[in-house]
Amino acid sequence: MDELDILKKDWKKKDHSFNQITEKEIYGMLHKRSSSIVKWILIISICEFLILRILDISSFFDKSSVKMMEKNHLYNFSLVLTIFNLIVFSGFIIYFYKNFKKISAASSIKKLMSDILKTRKIVKYYIWYNLILISITTFFVLNSFFKYNKEINELYEKFPSIFILGSIATVLFIVLFFWGLYKLLYGILLKRLHNNYQELKKLEL
Amino acid sequence: MNPESEELFVKQLQENQNIIHKICRLYTSDDDSHKDLFQEITIQLWKAFPKFRGDSKFTTWAYRVGLNTAITLYRKKKRTIDTIEFDNTYHRVKQEDYNFEEEEQLKLLYSAVNQLNDIEKALVFLYIEDKDYAEISETLGISEVNARVKMNRVKGKLKKILNP
Repeated sequence: MDELDILKKDWKKKDHSFNQITEKEIYGMLHKRSSSIVKWILIISICEFLILRILDISSFFDKSSVKMMEKNHLYNFSLVLTIFNLIVFSGFIIYFYKNFKKISAASSIKKLMSDILKTRKIVKYYIWYNLILISITTFFVLNSFFKYNKEINELYEKFPSIFILGSIATVLFIVLFFWGLYKLLYGILLKRLHNNYQELKKLEL
Repeated sequence: MNPESEELFVKQLQENQNIIHKICRLYTSDDDSHKDLFQEITIQLWKAFPKFRGDSKFTTWAYRVGLNTAITLYRKKKRTIDTIEFDNTYHRVKQEDYNFEEEEQLKLLYSAVNQLNDIEKALVFLYIEDKDYAEISETLGISEVNARVKMNRVKGKLKKILNP
């Protein structure tokens, strides 16, 4: 008898050693919320969308920030960027939602994983889009400050190399910070899944 | 969903709950995570229930949704590395059946299974649940031939863990 058969024999013996859950408890569970990975991706991305876009849009209703944008010749840039972002991010959210609806626990493990990994790919694009966006925005904002803000401009003319190096460092720092944040938010959710998918792929060899 | 289908679902789940308990035992290492995973599987089963047409048995379907949840959908709070606790809590046998040697061997076997990855565990689980290769391959979404090949590899891997 090999190992698995010994295990099988023992496993069968233990069939009834579990604390049985009552029907009432099951009714209770049905109305609790799921904590599945795909659902969390959807929730995190929606929260992020809401917070960031509300910040973006509200800055156009705040007089002092509009004034500042105009003073630094950033108004048009910000307006175009905000509208563009609204469209792109809505696209991402719709896609996440559609995936969330499509993913079914009743598919085979392989099908389910490949569906989730498709979401993973889109999450990756989503993160890259965000990072590129953040670096471009930071660069533009710093650039306008150097050019149009009187006091800063005077200093900039005196020590241009320090300012350029400083702005590169700032952009790098901000990008790294957000990259870390995204790794934390989405990376943990998706790492284990990826390992499992690799195992499943090996099954097909 | 209407109350009748809810009633039907709860009844079937209550009768077949051991399937889910067994999956939880294999994929979690303590009582809290066991309960957590049980609940998540129940929710996923309920969410998928409208699509369950009865062309497969409730149990077959429950195996699939349960394993899917354990492997892919559920976020684990704890990894299943705590094999000592696993052994002590779950593998007490009745006094009259007590056989020291066999018990020792089983302890080692269960801890070896715990060292397998999630996918390999699923294979082992379906095997010790007496599922045929057709059902194993359907649950995992791979071909029958591959399921057989992989099962042999898992057996080899277990042997290696047990006799390093």
